[in-house]
Amino acid sequence: MLLAIAAGAMALAGANPIDGFAALLRGALGGTNQICETLVQTTALLFPSLAVAFAFRAGLFNIGAEGQLVMGGLCAGLVGAALAMPGWIAIPAILVAGACGGAAWGGIAGALRARFGGNEVIATLMLNIIAGLLANYLVVGPLHAPDATGAETSELPTSSWLPLLIPDTRLSIALVLGIVLAAILAYVFRSTVFGYELRAAGDAPEAARRAGIDLPRTAFVAMTLSGAIAGFGGATIVAGVLHRFDVELSPGYGFIAIAVALVGGLDPLWIVLASFVFGILQSGSLSMQAFAHVPKDVVTFVEGLAILALATRRFVAPRTAGT
Amino acid sequence: MSGFLALALVKATPLIFAALAGTICERAGILNIALEGALTVAAFAAVAVSFATGSPLLGLLAAVLASMLLCALLGIAATRFGVDQIVAGTGLNLVAAGGTAFALVVIFGQPGASPEVHALGDGGERVLIVCAFACAVLLQIVLDRTPWGLRVRACGENPRALLSAGVDPRRLRVVATLVGGALAGLGGAFLSLGELDIYSDGMTAGRGFIALAAVIFGRWTPLGAAGAALAFGALSALQFVLQRAGVPSELMQALPYLAALAALTGIVGRARAPAADGVSLD
Repeated sequence: MLLAIAAGAMALAGANPIDGFAALLRGALGGTNQICETLVQTTALLFPSLAVAFAFRAGLFNIGAEGQLVMGGLCAGLVGAALAMPGWIAIPAILVAGACGGAAWGGIAGALRARFGGNEVIATLMLNIIAGLLANYLVVGPLHAPDATGAETSELPTSSWLPLLIPDTRLSIALVLGIVLAAILAYVFRSTVFGYELRAAGDAPEAARRAGIDLPRTAFVAMTLSGAIAGFGGATIVAGVLHRFDVELSPGYGFIAIAVALVGGLDPLWIVLASFVFGILQSGSLSMQAFAHVPKDVVTFVEGLAILALATRRFVAPRTAGT
Repeated sequence: MSGFLALALVKATPLIFAALAGTICERAGILNIALEGALTVAAFAAVAVSFATGSPLLGLLAAVLASMLLCALLGIAATRFGVDQIVAGTGLNLVAAGGTAFALVVIFGQPGASPEVHALGDGGERVLIVCAFACAVLLQIVLDRTPWGLRVRACGENPRALLSAGVDPRRLRVVATLVGGALAGLGGAFLSLGELDIYSDGMTAGRGFIALAAVIFGRWTPLGAAGAALAFGALSALQFVLQRAGVPSELMQALPYLAALAALTGIVGRARAPAADGVSLD
């Protein structure tokens, strides 16, 4: 169905749909470089998708992965540019800074929800935009880097770059970190009390409350950790791909992540696979535009439809009153 | 001063339309995250149809229809297919952003922005500004004083009660999204054919989200939301003045969003959303 719509859109753009799909796949998987670039996109999507799924499982709508990603990247970029330390100190510091930035941003929404019952959807939507404005203000204004050409921080010292998995590509060990994180989250959800409490709060809040689970506290913790995951992802883009923070760091990863999380059925391990599928779309879209003359935005369009089509109750618990 | 006032009104008008759209949807129980997308498709459809036909009025009509279609998709997905409203709204925003960027290249053969088209002109702009305020008053009366308004409010507070009174809340919610879609359509058309005479990617610049903030700040009443939208519009007009005085423009732009966060804490007086706002039926 979605394929048919995509094909129709390509035909509308005056391209042969088969050529379009071929160009997309060739651009995404046609060689070592292309596959690595697809995996870079996979990684960039994986972290915010895990973040979204983490909050979803706890019954919270984190529409703010985008802002948390940006704040994580900003903190990582600022710490990274300022730190002249050996890599084994600097890299963890950068990643932790990113996670903290994201956690703070998610935590604000979590605190509003926990303390005042404020709707986290509205809060995260607002925080997304505030994050973009704040990052832009800081990077262009008071923290303007002398060597920056655009809205970006100084370049990180090469010792602070994430080690590459494959030399001469942009694919760093961030992918491995993401997969490990997915495995950890899967374990947390399946086999720990904390994971059980999160799921209980999400699936049956009333029962959870009666069982003695502190719902406001759970909401705050879940949003903070969700933000930390997204922020960590932002840091891996800074330390692994761009080697500096740029306000254009994300072409909407935090929103596409919602589609990825749903396609992956909110299961961390399936989300790894779903991230790869969406990574193909992201990296193949440019080649489709270049070689089949189909505007790359058709991918965003189809991703939006995918969200609509997949967002059935099977995956997402209905919102309960009082949220 | 009159220059400032005029600018404030121009900046406020699309926000007022969108905020009214958000209000009617939320009062019926649909948290319409897709307002941003509705403004986008409306602004685009207005320019595309004005370009094709040479008539800005037909463009305006197309904007209203396009926005109604997008909002109806939200309403139908949320009430008939059990899709969560928030998720559906996020998906529709992506559909709108991707679809318009795609259609821009296909129709105009260039990415980024359309060429100039026939716009509504000063007269049309003024009519729409007056229309925005009229809609606010009208919607307030309809919600407060008519049986349909009572049903909409009931639908947002206690849809089950409505069901036992023999009214189908699903249908009512879809109708509310249609009304909201029409209002947002006027706002989107004002952006591209009133304030300007082109469409460019990202021209809505978060106005759909500012509108959601205005709904909260206006405590879910049409007049309140319109007032908040007017204040936010004045703020964005003030931005040009204060920027020269050295106030960072980002701070000014962030104020509506910060205000919305403050409203969520209840510091500025307890604001309560309709009880079934964003809650799916059955």
